[in-house]
Amino acid sequence: MARRAPSSRRQQLERAALVPVDWLEERSGLAGGIKYFLFRKVPADINWMQTLGSATLTAFIVQAVTGVVLAMYYKPDPDAAYASILRITNDVTLGWLVRGMHKWGASVFIILMFFHMARVFLFGAYKYPRELNWIVGVGLLALGLFEGFTGYLLPWDETAYWASVVGININGTAPILGPFIVQFLQSGIEIGEDTISRFYALHMLVLPGAIGGLIGLHLYLVVRLGVTSPPWSPEAAGRERVEPGPSTNGNGRAGLVRPGARSGAPR
Amino acid sequence: MSTRLEQRRAQHQRYKEDVKEHGKPFFPGAMWHDTVMSLVVVCVIIALASIWYFTSGENPEDAGLLGPRYTEEADAGTTNFIPRPDWYFYFLFYLLRIFKWPDSVILGTVGIPTILLMLMVGLPFFDLRRERRLLRRPVAVVAAILVVLSMGVLTYKGATQEEALGGDATVVADWVDRNNLPASAREGATLFNETGCQQCHVYLGSGSANLGAPDLSDIGSLGGKTEDYFTRYVANPRTFGNNVMPVYGQANGGSLDDQQLGNLAKFLAASKGEG
Ligand code: HEC
Ligand code: HEM
Repeated sequence: MARRAPSSRRQQLERAALVPVDWLEERSGLAGGIKYFLFRKVPADINWMQTLGSATLTAFIVQAVTGVVLAMYYKPDPDAAYASILRITNDVTLGWLVRGMHKWGASVFIILMFFHMARVFLFGAYKYPRELNWIVGVGLLALGLFEGFTGYLLPWDETAYWASVVGININGTAPILGPFIVQFLQSGIEIGEDTISRFYALHMLVLPGAIGGLIGLHLYLVVRLGVTSPPWSPEAAGRERVEPGPSTNGNGRAGLVRPGARSGAPR
Repeated sequence: MSTRLEQRRAQHQRYKEDVKEHGKPFFPGAMWHDTVMSLVVVCVIIALASIWYFTSGENPEDAGLLGPRYTEEADAGTTNFIPRPDWYFYFLFYLLRIFKWPDSVILGTVGIPTILLMLMVGLPFFDLRRERRLLRRPVAVVAAILVVLSMGVLTYKGATQEEALGGDATVVADWVDRNNLPASAREGATLFNETGCQQCHVYLGSGSANLGAPDLSDIGSLGGKTEDYFTRYVANPRTFGNNVMPVYGQANGGSLDDQQLGNLAKFLAASKGEG
């Protein structure tokens, strides 16, 4: 990295700022990783639509943080759950904000997942070599929906209860496995004490853990494989170069009628 | 001619070279965009939470612009609460109205979601071409439009589904009237109305048809369905191969005692339809 000679004051500042970084790097190698993450090259023509993935991540983080705060006040018990929800919403300082953000953040999270998926689809970004990351994404979508389902019961109001009755019964219609799924979800013959703690455990431990792990894998693959350029960009990274061979009829970007298009690379 | 795999590898190699030569570092440009977008997301969430809270009241009835803070406390005995999942399951919920138990409900509840999941997981393996430009991917674009449209319509239908719910004395009186119910069936009619049967069953136009449960208005006129049959059926639908309906008999862990079951059965057996 050739740079112009910086002023001595700036040099001093830079050295001072680097002390903790060097300390960390020497002991863990983490600084190098972060530096790699931040300064890795991405295509120059990336688009606003490609911020949807990190926006989804932000929504997930909002859910995690507000969820932890809610867990400090919420009681997963049929006799106490509803009262604890009333207290969080009406009495606890800013409790309404935390619960409101968690409640509405859940919908935002799901919508963003769908939008992000739509952009990946439009960009054809699920194609080689990113197939696996698409599948990881499908897993995230399924887990995200299940997270929403398990969370919906917890306020223990009528909406929550009856939505879960329907939801559990829908699972019950599955062939062969149906009754077992119902038994597992409900842990009893009716929705009750054990159901609520079971949903709670899934909602705050198992599913967020799984989602967090998959997000880690997802981001690892994003960094490893790189993000795609918008397909319509004339500068798209990895674009097909017009082969100067005789088979192309002078114009690589013909419209719907493409005589001889098949003779080039299969598209 | 090189193989498809070689071509894909060459393309990714080209991608890496292009990015190396003409790309820009993630920080600060792209990261700045990500940060702005994330801030927008957080602001939208806070705005939704605020609108929801400040336009609603402590009372479950004081719904604001974005609905109530909560509904009444859960009660397994409620009769006429309209069961409805969160919005992103509306499409599934509505599919259940289209597919009726038992012939095809499995298609709606399990089949279609499973097919969708398989299509999604399989997508990168069906669509093997390297082409990414939309105009050259007509099949993908049409499929995407169809999926978005049908999900949109199903979600909308599920959201606006009108429920004809009864749940009070007038409804029961109306049934007695229209279905010519004998006095011995009234007890059961009230119980039917109060036990939540109408979460799934329609009776003379009231209730919501969920999970493909049959309309019970004239169930007593169907052959072979006796009072005894109904008692046993409602006590434990599992023994009749019904894994969807709740178990009601106290002996099986349900909520109704023998007398209540008997009353329900009298009512069902006496339900012979209008006319
Ligand atoms: C969660 C939904 C649900 C609830 C609640 C429910 N049912 Fe059902 N019920 C069903 C379904 C689904 C079937 C159809 C099963 C089949 O056809 O195999 C059914 C079938 C029946 C039948 C059998 C009809 C026949 O053809 O033999 C009777 C009788 C019945 N229900 C009565 C009741 C009564 C009484 C209640 C309330 C105490 C009730 N159900 C509550 C879902 C429900
Ligand atoms: C918890 C949910 C998710 C999070 C946090 C997340 C996060 C991200 C991020 C930060 C990126 C980088 C590029 C971008 O922002 O667009 C990305 C890329 C990608 N995501 Fe996701 N994602 C999630 C869900 C999904 C889903 C549901 C799918 C599809 C089924 C998916 C498939 C992909 C693919 C294939 C890429 C690579 C795109 C490319 O290279 O252009 N992700 N994801």
